[in-house]
Amino acid sequence: MSTSADFLLESSVSDFSAEYEPRIIGFLCNWCSYAGADRAGASQTTYPPNVSIIKIMCTGRIDPQFILKAFASGADGVIILACPPGDCHYKEGNLRAAQRHSLLARVLEQMGIERERCRFDYVSAGDGNKYAQVITDMVDTVRHLGPLSLSN
Amino acid sequence: MKTGVYFCSCGTNITDKIDTERVKAGLESSGKIAYFKTCPFLCSEEGKQFLEQELKEERPDRIVIAACSPRDHEATFMRVMEQAGMNPYLMQLVNIREQIAWVTEDPEKATQKASVALKAALKRVELHEMLEKQELEVSPDVLIIGAGPAGLKAALTLAESGRRVALVEKTPVIGGLPVLYDALFPNMECGPCMMDPIIGEILYGEHSEKIELLTMAELDEVVGYFGNFVVKIRQRPRYINTSQCIGCGKCFEPCPASGANQFNCNMEEKKAIGFTFPGALPNAPYIDPAMCTRFTEGSDCTACRGACLMGEGVVVYDDEEKIIERQIGAIVVATGSSLYDCSCFDNLGYGRFPDVTTALEFERILASNGPTAGEIFMSNGDVPGSVVIIHCVGSLDEDHQPYCSGICCQYAFKFNHLLESKLPNAKIHHLYKEIVSPGKEEYALYRTARENPNAHFVRYSSIADMQILVDNEQQIIQLADGSKINADLVVLCPAVVPSADAEKLSAMLDVSQDRFGFFEELHGRMDTARSKIRGVYLAGACQAPTDIQRATSQAMAASGYILSELVTGRKIELDPLFASVYPEKCAGCKVCMKVCPYRAIGFDAGNNVAVVNAVLCHGCGTCVAACPVNAIKANHFTDEMILSEIEGVLK
Repeated sequence: MSTSADFLLESSVSDFSAEYEPRIIGFLCNWCSYAGADRAGASQTTYPPNVSIIKIMCTGRIDPQFILKAFASGADGVIILACPPGDCHYKEGNLRAAQRHSLLARVLEQMGIERERCRFDYVSAGDGNKYAQVITDMVDTVRHLGPLSLSN
Repeated sequence: MKTGVYFCSCGTNITDKIDTERVKAGLESSGKIAYFKTCPFLCSEEGKQFLEQELKEERPDRIVIAACSPRDHEATFMRVMEQAGMNPYLMQLVNIREQIAWVTEDPEKATQKASVALKAALKRVELHEMLEKQELEVSPDVLIIGAGPAGLKAALTLAESGRRVALVEKTPVIGGLPVLYDALFPNMECGPCMMDPIIGEILYGEHSEKIELLTMAELDEVVGYFGNFVVKIRQRPRYINTSQCIGCGKCFEPCPASGANQFNCNMEEKKAIGFTFPGALPNAPYIDPAMCTRFTEGSDCTACRGACLMGEGVVVYDDEEKIIERQIGAIVVATGSSLYDCSCFDNLGYGRFPDVTTALEFERILASNGPTAGEIFMSNGDVPGSVVIIHCVGSLDEDHQPYCSGICCQYAFKFNHLLESKLPNAKIHHLYKEIVSPGKEEYALYRTARENPNAHFVRYSSIADMQILVDNEQQIIQLADGSKINADLVVLCPAVVPSADAEKLSAMLDVSQDRFGFFEELHGRMDTARSKIRGVYLAGACQAPTDIQRATSQAMAASGYILSELVTGRKIELDPLFASVYPEKCAGCKVCMKVCPYRAIGFDAGNNVAVVNAVLCHGCGTCVAACPVNAIKANHFTDEMILSEIEGVLK
């Protein structure tokens, strides 16, 4: 018999069911990708629940330590979704995030974290379908890779 | 710390998928919350009253609201918090509708995901700080750079609403390009007739005292930011006391010196003292020191002063350059555009062949106050029997300007119309790449041109494939296929390009230029009247090639923004979501200054630290992520808050 406290504990543990459920952190910017996620919601497009969204004002705000922290805390994947090039609310934060991501991806690989576990993509405010598709892809990819084991 | 949770069921939109009771039980047993309350519609009037009453009674230190997207009702709930006397930044909104209930198929998983999201929000909200909107005193006065249709319209609109305006114009005359044109597309209205009433209002109208017109003046220096700019304007000497001059022109006749008149495209000479062209406003001449013998030779000529009907004090030979300083709150850039230099097309012979002119020169030839009083002659004095108008010169051309300049087709068909009446027997050829004529009235001139039996349309693909030649004293154009067209007079329609001083002004104002060199707008469709620098607005052809209609509309849009964003007597509110530097941590490396898209970060050289200007900061946080020593803080999005949210989700 599970108590309420157990339930809360359970909900933050990845393999509460028989099938492996990846845990993924999604960094979404306030203007495009977060609105894209809302658009997917408004059109009730379903997608896997494995990505927990952390909203920031701009993907340019993403400090590499956030991503390292996510992996260190047990995330199996991190996805950064930015405004498409040219659409950044703050001119060029998305491009800066893209540069930082490509650098970090190389560092992660050296640490034994597969490149695919840290994805960068663009989702516009109107494109709920793309959002749902990118999230579905990401979850499939990480599910295929299996749980991240940093000790390895 | 007392933290409360408000859970909106949004009718059944949320509870169809998320089991409120299980979420509640999980959070309550964690011991992290003081209470958990539900509401059927938190955004409804009843819901807002419920929330306000609750906050007043419970007096929580922090709250987490689980409801719809923050893009829907975060601002609504923040207002309720303010009404209840609680700082609105002490709340974290969890989007369990759009991003969980509506997109998760399995209710079990939706419930789990909502619980995790709430847990992370509770961890984050603990760190939230009471942020206050700062207020700043502002100057409601406005600087407008450029006195063409856009600048004049903005000046008049702002003055009519009681604003004081400094209107700075580089040349001695106001009205911009339209005052040089005898007829304007699409309705063949005369340019001065259209502009004079508004110029009259600016100079002598009911609100004219609020407009400080500074001709022959340019912006020299800008410091400060939105609401509090200090600008220095450099005004060249006019050598005429405009308040006493009656503009009679008696001073011109005895003047012994003359030179090319650039306002008539150097096609005629003018005296050293004179108007730019007859009818120019303000109605006062100016002395060109590059022509007047007092300046060129050091002579003691006083011929003009001697002829002045108004006495000795009107012509002021010892007039000096002035630096005028003004405190203003906003700046409108309305500096217009320029034309592409046609002399770079060697095959067109512009500059070598006197009967190859640009559209601007041809406008002056057509103008009744122009060098030929509106008569069309070739350089040999004959009346041309064939006129070739070449469209798209430098436009739609990857080797020159890739864009369509938008206005050339219109004025080319206007020329066609004027040529029909001025030279009824002349053959007219339009050589064009594309015909562009959108708009509700714009098609008429094109149709008239098409119906003219003397007008012929020839499409070309590259300007490089044609050649203007003189064969047996006959000017001809040879086309790509070898065919030849008689071209007694050639009119080139050059691409509209940024004005030559755009780069200098852009650097002074920190306003970016686009890839073509035009001033870059905040948003290409939604916000063309605002630049990316707060408090600097754009109007007219300085932002993109444009016609008078769009330029004046944009000027009105800029004025509207100023009237709503910079209100007399109202302080400007600063959104507290800006970045700030911890001076004790800052190493002075200036990386943040390089990444800031708004140039909001300055440098305090005395203390060797960066300083963020909260007025200019838009709160994106790029500098925060770039700082190698974590010396910058993003309000409401601190490293600690984001890290705690990550941890809250995962642990």
